[in-house]
Amino acid sequence: MTDAGLGSLEPIAVAVPIAGAVAAPLLARLSRRLPLVVSVAAMVAATGVLALLCHRVYTGHLLVHYLGHVGPVDGHALGIAFAADPFGLTYALLTAALGTLLLLFTLSSMRELGSHELGGYACLFLLLLAGLIGSALTADLFDLFVWFEVSALASYGLTGFFLERPFAVEAAFKILVLTTIAGFGIFVGTGLIYSGHGALNLGQIHGAVTSDIRTADYVALAFLVAGFATKAGLIPFHGWLPDAHTAAPGPVSALFSGLMVNLGVFAIVRLTLQVYGSTGRPILGLVTVLGAASAVLGAVLALAQDDLKRLLAYDTVSQMGVLLVGFATRSASGVGGATYHLVNHALFKALLFLCAGSIVHATGKVKLSEMGGLARARPVTTVAFLVGAAAIAGVPPLNGYASVGLIHDALLHDHPVTYAVLLLAQIVTIAALARAAYLGFLRPREQAYDSMEKLHPGMWAAFAGLIGGCIGFGVLPDLVIRNVVAPATAWLTSDGSYAAAVLSRTGSLPPASVHFDYWSATELLTVAGTVAAGLLLAWWYIRHEEPRAVRGLRTLHNGSVNDYASYATVGAVATTTVLLIGHP
Amino acid sequence: MIVVNYLAAGALFCIGLYVVLTRRNLIKLVMGLSVMEASTYVLLISMAYRRGSTAPVFVSPPAGRSVTSLTHGGVADPVLQNFCLTAIVIGVAATAVFLSVVVRIAQHYRSIDADDVRGMRG
Repeated sequence: MTDAGLGSLEPIAVAVPIAGAVAAPLLARLSRRLPLVVSVAAMVAATGVLALLCHRVYTGHLLVHYLGHVGPVDGHALGIAFAADPFGLTYALLTAALGTLLLLFTLSSMRELGSHELGGYACLFLLLLAGLIGSALTADLFDLFVWFEVSALASYGLTGFFLERPFAVEAAFKILVLTTIAGFGIFVGTGLIYSGHGALNLGQIHGAVTSDIRTADYVALAFLVAGFATKAGLIPFHGWLPDAHTAAPGPVSALFSGLMVNLGVFAIVRLTLQVYGSTGRPILGLVTVLGAASAVLGAVLALAQDDLKRLLAYDTVSQMGVLLVGFATRSASGVGGATYHLVNHALFKALLFLCAGSIVHATGKVKLSEMGGLARARPVTTVAFLVGAAAIAGVPPLNGYASVGLIHDALLHDHPVTYAVLLLAQIVTIAALARAAYLGFLRPREQAYDSMEKLHPGMWAAFAGLIGGCIGFGVLPDLVIRNVVAPATAWLTSDGSYAAAVLSRTGSLPPASVHFDYWSATELLTVAGTVAAGLLLAWWYIRHEEPRAVRGLRTLHNGSVNDYASYATVGAVATTTVLLIGHP
Repeated sequence: MIVVNYLAAGALFCIGLYVVLTRRNLIKLVMGLSVMEASTYVLLISMAYRRGSTAPVFVSPPAGRSVTSLTHGGVADPVLQNFCLTAIVIGVAATAVFLSVVVRIAQHYRSIDADDVRGMRG
């Protein structure tokens, strides 16, 4: 097929899930299981469509499609563009494939729900996935806002899915307030850019801000970054994240943490590297600071949690920070490592949330202090949890080793301070997960659990798929780096190529040179050192009272929606100030 | 004076934000968010304004104008107005979700004070 023909397939990858979302609640009237079966089919179809684009995109080509064939005239684009670059396609494919697994898991785990609930659940789940795939493929700023809102509206419904539980509606209110404010930021930012340059196409905006950047463009960028940082759950915009993850059903937490929060990181990366790539001002420095702060504070908060899902949610904050620090280095190994880590994080965090969800579901216990002895009671889930935890810790041969290693390589020589901060975050992260693994799973428990539900086939399939992913992406790093990471890095680090290709509807780049030395002594020693330090810290933390600093940090998270909105406002004001007065 | 519009948009945004940050009544909080949202509409519609322009409708132009003069910039920017329409639709949907969540909160917690609705913390 020609490039134009392949490009015209892109909207189908979004249209199919949306069609499924419309059909699901209607089909629920026929049969209880039909909505989820149809959702799985829709996501398999979307994955298939995206897979057709792989060969061309991962050989370095950009596939562009203007909706309605309203293409650019003299460099001015009026039509909405879809453009699949390797980075966007990776995120879209990941969303479609992981979404399929999560729906399979739901299909067999939520047996007790009625047809009405299952119809609504399938509809919202598919809408969220469609919004994420649309964001990944679009090359139009306003379209990005629309997909952001589609996924946001779906996420409100999914957060409050258990409407009969007070915590669920409380969490839904918090995510509503913060995401709505984030939406204002993105909306106003988009409007400012358009009214200044008459451009919405990302390629055209790149040209405009490169040749003629104004104060309003920096304000717009600050608003956009603050808005998407709220989606990504970066500190101090993160107030909604732990609550939403705790209250939602297990597969939904996995979806939020593995895929939805990545939308924020994805959009920030697209804007800062591919659109505002050459405009000076300390935008990458700002992103690094936000990322590093989230990495450390998120990990510390995770270490202090007693609620298993909340612990994993704070760990997501931390991992999003790590991702952004990697991207902000703008070096081949940093950007490559972060791209790799984005995929890996989705895999292992989805796995961990599914474990947590299935435990909560089976035992009714949410707190680590009430758990224990699960290694004996739930051996399969325990193995899955330990695999996920080891993957985050970067234990070879699991997938975290190569991606975190690449990010560390990028920082070691050029940014030693950031490197030290990330190492600290890594140690605390390992400690948090080791503590959870010990308290929940390995610690002996006096009394036995009541009889528990068995693992159903769909749950087995999801666990097997995710564990397989964690191992596969870990033992074949060369394959992944050569075929996926290197092309994606090339498009992210070569300033202006993406913009030019979107406007000229075609373009190709040779892969970037990303290299990872799997058997290097430095990498192996770093992992051994961080794991040892992490285990020691976990051991110390379990035996001691909560330190005062940690207690103070937790007191700041007082659950008040007003305060969370204040933190986000302070963050937005700080972002704007830095971009307005900062000099490169 | 279009500057007045910008000032009004800024003032509305700040008033809305002030309400969101300081009022604990959840209904008032939702109202604050609605005011913030309205301010973004004012801002975008004002940015769409061009001096001496008319509505972006090209069928049967008003007296004294030809279709050519309209297509050469004699109209307000329709794209920004479209933004507003899209945002209004999204805003209505979000407000509906907001209020239904507040109703549920009122049923569960027997209160709509944000300070009573913070079971999850730390």
